Amino acid sequence: MTAQEVRLCGLLLQEHFGEVVAKVGTHLLKSGAQNLRTIIHETGISLDLVKKSLCVLVQHGTCVFSSGRKAPGSPTEYRTSCDRILRILRYPRYIYTAKTLYGDTGELIIEELLQRGDMTMSSTVKTVADRLTQNMEEGRSMDYSEVSSAFSKLVETHFLQRCPPMAGAGTKDSGTPATPATPAIPESFPDCYRVPHVTLIGRGKRRLSNEDGEDQRNAKKTKMDSETHGDEGIYWQVNFERFHLHFRDQAIISAVANKLDQTSSEIVRTMLRMSEVTTSPTATCTKPLSANEIFRSLPSSYNIPRPILDQYLTLLVDDPMEFVGKAGESGGGMYVVNLHKALANLARATLESVVQERFGSRSARIFRLLLRKRHLEQKQVEDFAMIPAKEAKDMLYTLLSQNLVQLQEIPKTPDYAPSRTFYLYTVNQLPTARMLLQNCYKTVANLIERRLFESKESKRLLEKSQRIEAILASLQASGAEPEQLTEVEEMITAPEKQQLEALRLHINKLDSAENQVDETIFLLESYVNSTATS
Amino acid sequence: MTGRGRGRGRRMMTFSVEAVGINRGDSLPPSIQQPTPLFPVMEQKPLPLAGGEEAEYLLALKQEFRGAMKSLPCFIQPAAAHRDVERYSDKYHSTEPADGPTDWTTDWKRFPKELRVRVKKPTRDGVSAAVTRSDRVQSGQKKKKIKEKEEVLLKLETLEKKEERGSSGEEEEEGEEKKKKQEDEEAEGEEEYDEEEFEEETDYVMSYFDNGEEFGGDSDDNMDEAIY
Repeated sequence: MTAQEVRLCGLLLQEHFGEVVAKVGTHLLKSGAQNLRTIIHETGISLDLVKKSLCVLVQHGTCVFSSGRKAPGSPTEYRTSCDRILRILRYPRYIYTAKTLYGDTGELIIEELLQRGDMTMSSTVKTVADRLTQNMEEGRSMDYSEVSSAFSKLVETHFLQRCPPMAGAGTKDSGTPATPATPAIPESFPDCYRVPHVTLIGRGKRRLSNEDGEDQRNAKKTKMDSETHGDEGIYWQVNFERFHLHFRDQAIISAVANKLDQTSSEIVRTMLRMSEVTTSPTATCTKPLSANEIFRSLPSSYNIPRPILDQYLTLLVDDPMEFVGKAGESGGGMYVVNLHKALANLARATLESVVQERFGSRSARIFRLLLRKRHLEQKQVEDFAMIPAKEAKDMLYTLLSQNLVQLQEIPKTPDYAPSRTFYLYTVNQLPTARMLLQNCYKTVANLIERRLFESKESKRLLEKSQRIEAILASLQASGAEPEQLTEVEEMITAPEKQQLEALRLHINKLDSAENQVDETIFLLESYVNSTATS
Repeated sequence: MTGRGRGRGRRMMTFSVEAVGINRGDSLPPSIQQPTPLFPVMEQKPLPLAGGEEAEYLLALKQEFRGAMKSLPCFIQPAAAHRDVERYSDKYHSTEPADGPTDWTTDWKRFPKELRVRVKKPTRDGVSAAVTRSDRVQSGQKKKKIKEKEEVLLKLETLEKKEERGSSGEEEEEGEEKKKKQEDEEAEGEEEYDEEEFEEETDYVMSYFDNGEEFGGDSDDNMDEAIY
């Protein structure tokens, strides 16, 4: 829980849940597990608001509670962790992936679940059907069964999972001392991916033009109309790990496509698809697949003859990036995809490109050299990199001052005398990756702050434009003449329009930048996590 | 032995100068006298952002998600800061988060007991007819003692107020009654009630007080004379 992570989490919570939740969340992040009284006392927020914030955090899965550590009867303690909050940066990517895999229905299901934290299947299906109906033409509506089938498909491919039941929540007063300190991991649950039998028959409802009245009536209807669909108490959440595996696979496939060619990437894609269910998330490499199996499972559009496939596989194995490895000779050759090695290579490529963009291609050459040769002396660096001594020195010192390169001392004598010590330059990939990851967090936090600053500067202008848009919309709805509309539009002067345009451009740029930095964050995080487990 | 060169000669350093590559006669770069500038000049300009359809769609998704979160009940506004003086524009600024708390129905069994807020209190601030009707049913079951006490006080109040206020007063009373029946917490109920008590029940009996409203009413009969 570094300072940068905490700062970024605070900003993300503030943007999505409001300032109160942000304060409570950052306080929990900084101080570890705490009970309710301490939180209230230390943050100075009223009991009511703290309770609401904790409810919001728990519902969205960012906060876990457990009975106190000191004694079985001590008050419940609440704990948050950075990882879950940092996922918020990646929500657009999850939604977009669901769209590419399962269409608009899948997209809306994931979006609803991300917005609400967790929901039952029936309520998700109803809400999504209503939203889809809203966007369809008049007279058509979305059937619940279509949405349910999309939901089931998402569960089958493990993109959605059941929320684990909160042990100790309801049975607190029974005084069982053996309530587990940590809540159950969803995967340890046998029913994690079982779709309940739900009786959902109906079609989506379209909201009529008189929205306010309808909203209230609908709200009342949902309150009084509590039909049970057979799945009460079963809540579903998005399974982020599965999405991450998918992103990782996509990264590997696109890397192969960039390095080699389209056909090799198709072969790797086939291999990964076949091993989706057999590979555990933390596996170093996929289960071995024989060349015969791969040949049979290739998509029919790629009818390459068998010997060509063998040649492609040999090429992939011989490639220095080591995406694919050979694990045996039976069945025409057993091949595996080296997942951890691939991640390490992707992270290394990221580091190299960072150095290249920051310091120039010659510094990048030195960096790559040090990565490959591990330890080099000053003189050797100049020779191998073929860069004149003075410039090489300069570049090395710049890299050293930025902590991308480290100096390793190897003494000849026990007293570390400077004249009798070797000084070798070296690059350690893992610590450098961690450092860059922290830089990425800092970058995103800075981007968010700048965006908030820009919005605050032009707050007055934004409010004015919003009001004018509202007036325009109401005028149009009530059927006004074009002259009235132009008159209202002219209430914003031309320089103000320009200012608004520039503001919109800046905010879009900052948002886009956040998305892009998040891609780097994903790569580096996956790499760091993979080394932790292996 | 070590550190022998300290202070002797400007150019002695703790590490071997030749090994790292600074030869004699080379000028060292100037030493830094102050912290590095906040926005240093970049020699290499950064690459432009990745454009394309996917990036734009992701951007749109992100902004929509943010906007949607702001309107959900999960978005908790801090308690509105009370300004020093009541302003006219406060009436037109929407401060209440609409029906945020009521919308948020969740399975309270999944939360620890101390967080279960909504089970006890129904909404206090919903004034619309639909909400009051349903809440009156709910709150009628709870805390009968307070209701009785409030009803007695209410009766006294209504008797007093009947003299001063006309039909508009009765509607207000009904509104106040409804509001009070929704209030569950003793403290809040008594607070609001006390405020109203003080408004109506001053030490001075209202009927004795002549606030000048009747002045000038008599002269309406004769319109020929000027009204001063």
